Amino acid sequence: MALLEVSQLRKDFGGLRAVSDLSFQLKRGEILGLIGPNGAGKTTVFNVITGFLPPTSGRLLLEDESLVGLKPHAVVKKGIARTFQIVKPFRNLSVLENVTLAAFLHEPNRSRAEAKAKATLDRVQLCGKAKANAADLTLSEQKLLEIARALATDPKILFLDEPMSGLNPTEVEVSCELVRRIRQDGITVILIEHHMKAIMNISDRVIVLHHGVKIADGTPQAVVQNRDVITAYLGERAA
Amino acid sequence: MESFVQSVVSGVLTGSLYAMIAVGLTIVFGVMRIINLAHGEMVMLGMFGAYWSYTLLGLDPFLSIVVWAPVMFAAGMLIHRFLLKKIIPKGELNTLLYTAGLSLLIANLALFFWTGDYRTLNLGYAVMPARPFGIAVPIPLAIAFFMAIAISTSLYFLLTQSDVGRAIRATAQNPESAALMGVNVQRIQMITFGLGTALAAAGGVLLVPSLYLFPTVGEVLIVKCFVIVVLGGLGSVPGAIAGGILLGLVESLGAVYVSVAYKDTIGFVLFLLVLLFRPAGLFGVGRS
Amino acid sequence: MTRLLAAAGILVLLAAPLLTNNSFYQHLMIMVLFWTLLGASWNLLGGYGGQVSFGHAAFLGIGAYVTMIFYLSLGLSPWLGMLAGGIIGALFALPIGLICFRLRGPYFSLATLAVAEIVRLVALNWEQLTAGPMGLLITTLPPISFGGMAINWESKLPFYYLAVALALFAMGLTYLVSRSRLGAYLLAVREDIDCAEAAGIDTVRTRVVALALSAFIVGLAGGFYSLYFRYVDPDAVFAISLSVEMVFIAVVGGLATTPGPIVGALVLVTIAEIFRERFQAGHLIFYGLFMMVVIRYMPEGIWGRLRLLLGRQG
Repeated sequence: MALLEVSQLRKDFGGLRAVSDLSFQLKRGEILGLIGPNGAGKTTVFNVITGFLPPTSGRLLLEDESLVGLKPHAVVKKGIARTFQIVKPFRNLSVLENVTLAAFLHEPNRSRAEAKAKATLDRVQLCGKAKANAADLTLSEQKLLEIARALATDPKILFLDEPMSGLNPTEVEVSCELVRRIRQDGITVILIEHHMKAIMNISDRVIVLHHGVKIADGTPQAVVQNRDVITAYLGERAA
Repeated sequence: MESFVQSVVSGVLTGSLYAMIAVGLTIVFGVMRIINLAHGEMVMLGMFGAYWSYTLLGLDPFLSIVVWAPVMFAAGMLIHRFLLKKIIPKGELNTLLYTAGLSLLIANLALFFWTGDYRTLNLGYAVMPARPFGIAVPIPLAIAFFMAIAISTSLYFLLTQSDVGRAIRATAQNPESAALMGVNVQRIQMITFGLGTALAAAGGVLLVPSLYLFPTVGEVLIVKCFVIVVLGGLGSVPGAIAGGILLGLVESLGAVYVSVAYKDTIGFVLFLLVLLFRPAGLFGVGRS
Repeated sequence: MTRLLAAAGILVLLAAPLLTNNSFYQHLMIMVLFWTLLGASWNLLGGYGGQVSFGHAAFLGIGAYVTMIFYLSLGLSPWLGMLAGGIIGALFALPIGLICFRLRGPYFSLATLAVAEIVRLVALNWEQLTAGPMGLLITTLPPISFGGMAINWESKLPFYYLAVALALFAMGLTYLVSRSRLGAYLLAVREDIDCAEAAGIDTVRTRVVALALSAFIVGLAGGFYSLYFRYVDPDAVFAISLSVEMVFIAVVGGLATTPGPIVGALVLVTIAEIFRERFQAGHLIFYGLFMMVVIRYMPEGIWGRLRLLLGRQG
């Protein structure tokens, strides 16, 4: 049984079709890369599955339970956590408080929630900054903080929206390592990323979106050789 | 039937004045993204200005608009330059609270100097209503109506034909691009705030022969203004004009066909419904 | 240190009436506490949750009228009536919250203003229930005894202690909320609603619960108002200006702080009442002035600034 099943998902904005009849399955324990040129509808897919936008039509099943119509917080409660493309930490709160807020989901007691938050910060190696103001972190630290916040809700699936954009090569390496560790902890990961080397490196499977349509779905090696993918990225002549 | 026509006429007349005041509020929102809670006090100052220049100097209130509109235009520019400019970057809620403070300050200074008494301004020529086609039309409201149309038309030409007007509209659409095109956004904001203030005050001047005046009258008017600009779509000038006339009609028809007691409630219920279901306004032109 | 300060504050509150028999000062202290109560309850939603309501007068009026009507027409003890006022206020908050919280930022503020105006207009026109603009009057309060002592409600002293109890209750509740999960969730809502949702927070429920709690306390305050003044009419308890004054006290004192409201009330109410005693009109001049100064120069409020100066958390 697939952990997450997306079928015939469609999202229109007025007259514009951002996602067109997208179907895919997410298997437990895999790392799935979602790629495509700018404007392909990747973030829209994330927003629809995580409840930030209602789908125009289609089915979304997490372990055979529908996610359609749920508010974002209810989706989180079901086990899907996300990060944002443009990092959104609670800027005026401390790093620890940021993560504690999320840990409260399954742990109403403050001291236990804080303990859990500290453990989560440890997992992303941000423990040393627990007391810092979230606004004072570097970009890569803010991205780690968002991942920690998502992890603190005990997700089954983690949706990462461009976790590596804007990072330097060393930080990208750290980030890849983190994604692998998260998978080892039993969490399924789906990520949008433009950093091709990284995504080829860590993904088990890659889906390519172009103008809201799925044009390829397979292993990284198979996908990079796909004619449609090359056309989508580089234009007709290159293919 | 006669009472229907009568209500429509008085609704449109009053509504046109509401509309003019609301246009002032909506252009300030459009250009600066702030909801100016002190807008009602600007109307109140216009009313008192006209009242005093009539009582002390015998200046006809409708003529006094040539004094008070420019004075309040300048006052608005100064308020922006010395007070609001520093606050706007602190975010919309801070600005909202700040203008709430300004509103309370102005209203209470007025209470302090002029007391809370209700005053009226009685014009000799305004005692008997005109009766064209058997419909009673209060003369001061009729004069105010035509002046409001004249002012709104000039505003329209100012916004569409002049350089300043084009700069104002460009800033309202996108301040960053406007700045890139060489528009001095700070200056345009200052002018717009002056314009909004002048429109409010002009509305006050035109209202004064038809309304009781007292220092906290702004509170009543600002609430009506919110209803209007939300109905018409925040930031939209045509929307505010349509919304103003709509509210005037709702109030006057509501008083006849629903109940005098609940006529004001209709406006608020409409307001809530629009906020919830059509946040861009009834005509879908505003931005939310 | 914080506890010491709090204990000292409470002692001062309890001992203050011993200092004076002057009925103006007693009235002043009662008003400061009354507004502390209102500021603290507004602060719950507005300060911690960042949801600026301009409609809290609705709950004050509901509390005041419920207390009055239950006492005058049902003979229910006003002390129970006060509680009923709080509860009914909180119940009212639920639909209001579900409607208004679909809107964000200034739009929420405008919506609360409209709701409060609708409630005021209904109170003004539903004459069978509220007697309309004439208002309701209590001529006598039933005596109660407390620990064997009969309490004489003709004096201001019992009201003073009642106000102390209510204000401490409101501030205590604020403190507890700020330490709880609800408090943390409110901060998240204030910071960024989308982000809070992504962290698994039910932001609508969080805001509605905070509004209901806040409305409960404001309802109690309304009950207190009706007993203290023994007269209510729609303009006295449903006025927009009441909603606005609550906001000012919380903001000037210091948003999202426990002692903020009492500091705000102490400064603003004292100035306003003394001003009102001397001049007839315009006593809110300083409310406006303080608000403008605070937003411009110290958005953290008077208590927030003091805390920064003292360089510690409290």
